[in-house]
Parts: sequence; structure tokens; C-alpha cells
Amino acid sequence: MRRTTPANPQHGPDRKPAAAWLDFDQLYRDNIDLIHRFANRLCGETEAAKDLVQETFLNAYRGLKKFRGDARVSTWLYTIASRACLRMRRKRKGEPDRELSLDEFVPTSDGEFRLQIPVEGLSPEEMLQNKELQQALETAIDKLPKKYKMVLVLRDMEGLSAKEVGAIMGLNERAVKSRLHRARLFVRRELSARGVAAPEPDRPNEHHE
Amino acid sequence: MATRSTRRRTTKAAARHHRHGSGRCLKILRELSAYIDDELSGTICEEIRRHLGACPNCEDFVASLRQTVALCRNVPAPHLSAIDRARMREAILQAATAR
Repeated sequence: MRRTTPANPQHGPDRKPAAAWLDFDQLYRDNIDLIHRFANRLCGETEAAKDLVQETFLNAYRGLKKFRGDARVSTWLYTIASRACLRMRRKRKGEPDRELSLDEFVPTSDGEFRLQIPVEGLSPEEMLQNKELQQALETAIDKLPKKYKMVLVLRDMEGLSAKEVGAIMGLNERAVKSRLHRARLFVRRELSARGVAAPEPDRPNEHHE
Repeated sequence: MATRSTRRRTTKAAARHHRHGSGRCLKILRELSAYIDDELSGTICEEIRRHLGACPNCEDFVASLRQTVALCRNVPAPHLSAIDRARMREAILQAATAR
């Protein structure tokens, strides 16, 4: 049973019961990839993403005893991460989230109805092998105001249901869907406004490490 | 035969004369995420499909929104190395035990 060792014996888990270490290790092992992915999608591959992962598991560690299993563990961790992310953001920038109105997404010229990206006959996975397109998509998502970005990431990238996203963000399903729609329209407009060239036809299988 | 060709001509004429930007286009713009997520009733879906058939701009717009969502769904997950995983765990436990 005693298969885990504290990372820092000098601090010692003297005031923590052994079970907390065991539970935490299991929690960390099972969910680190999920939270790391979520943090990277919210913050980009930055120091902020690492901070968010640490903050999330630190809060989970502290709240582990109170977690009664009413929600799925992943939902609980997503909730902790989302709250931590909003707190960190406020501390760093202090700017309020901008509201997106539907009116701003009504195309005004002919070129704005399609995506200006090479898509002919390609699957989304194949399209995303175009690094320029992947970069453009990440930039577009990153430009979203935080509360819209969170809904888009949870729903369209993490694949949660509108109901689950609502539970995580403290919103009703209607509000989730409304934010999701605006977020998608925003990203669509960004991809439509900025052109992405097709990769060089001579080197279609070029790999980047 | 005669009836069918007349109908086709009428539809084509409707498409040509439809000017994008009408109230109908705006109304449909509001519903497009629900439409591509298949959350609307059959009647509304049918109404939207009819409109898309008559408004090439809206049809392009829906296709581009679908592509956007498909791209988001397929963004590859970032890689976390075993070393980083262990390092983060250590930092978390260190912070948890420090007061």
C-alpha cells in the first residue's frame, strides 16, 4: 500500500495522512494529461499554462478531502482550472472581458463568406498538417475574450456537452450555447479575414520536429 | 416535364434575385451553431435548408463555420514529457506542504 514517496522528504507529510498522498498521486497520474492539454489550450504553450496546471492541482490537493464524488473527477478538475484561470488572468491584466455581439460577425464583403484557407478535399487532420493554418487557428482562438475562449475550448476542443460546460462555468445551457456560437463566429471570421497559403506542392510530406 | 423545368427556372431566378443581407439571412446567422450541432426542430432545419439553397452566400458561410468547428475539434494535443510531468508533480507537492 505504501508505494509512494513524498517528493520532498524534508517537508515531510507529517501533518498529512498517508491516504492523501496516495489519492493525490492517483489523481495526478490519471488527469495530468487532461489538465495540461486544457491549460495549453487556454493559455498557449507558455509559462502561464504551467502555472495554471500547478495551481489547479494545488487547489485539488487542498480540496481533495472535500470532494465527495458528486461530479466526475474530470469535471471537478476542469472547474478548478477554469476558476484559477479567470483569477490568474485578472491578476495579470486586469482588463474586463469584452462582450461579442452577433452584429460584428455579419460579413460585409464578398470575400468574407468563405475561409481563405486551402481545404479542397482534405480532412481536418490533413488541413492541420499545414503549420501556417494551425498557427492561424491558435492565434484566432487566443484572441477570443476569455469567457468565450473557455466555452469554445471546453465544448469544441475538449468535447464536453453544453450541460457539462454549464456546470463547470456556472452558466445555464442557453448561455453556454450563445457564447459558443459567438466564439465560433469570431474564429471563423479570423480565418476568413487572414489568408493561409497552401503548403508548397513540391514538398507535401515535409515533417517538422 | 414542363412543370419541373418551370420550377427549376423559378428556383434559379429566386437564387439570382435573392440579395444576401436580408432579415432572413440575419435570422439564420443566429441559428447556425444550433443548426450544425443538430439541435433544431425539423421544421426550422427545413426552413434553413430551403434558405441555403436560395442564398449562396449563406451556404458558403455555413460551410466555413462547419470547417472552423471541425478544425477546432482536431487540433492535436500538446505533448508532455515524463520529465516535465515529474517536475510539475514535485513543484505542486512542494507548494502544498509549504505554508
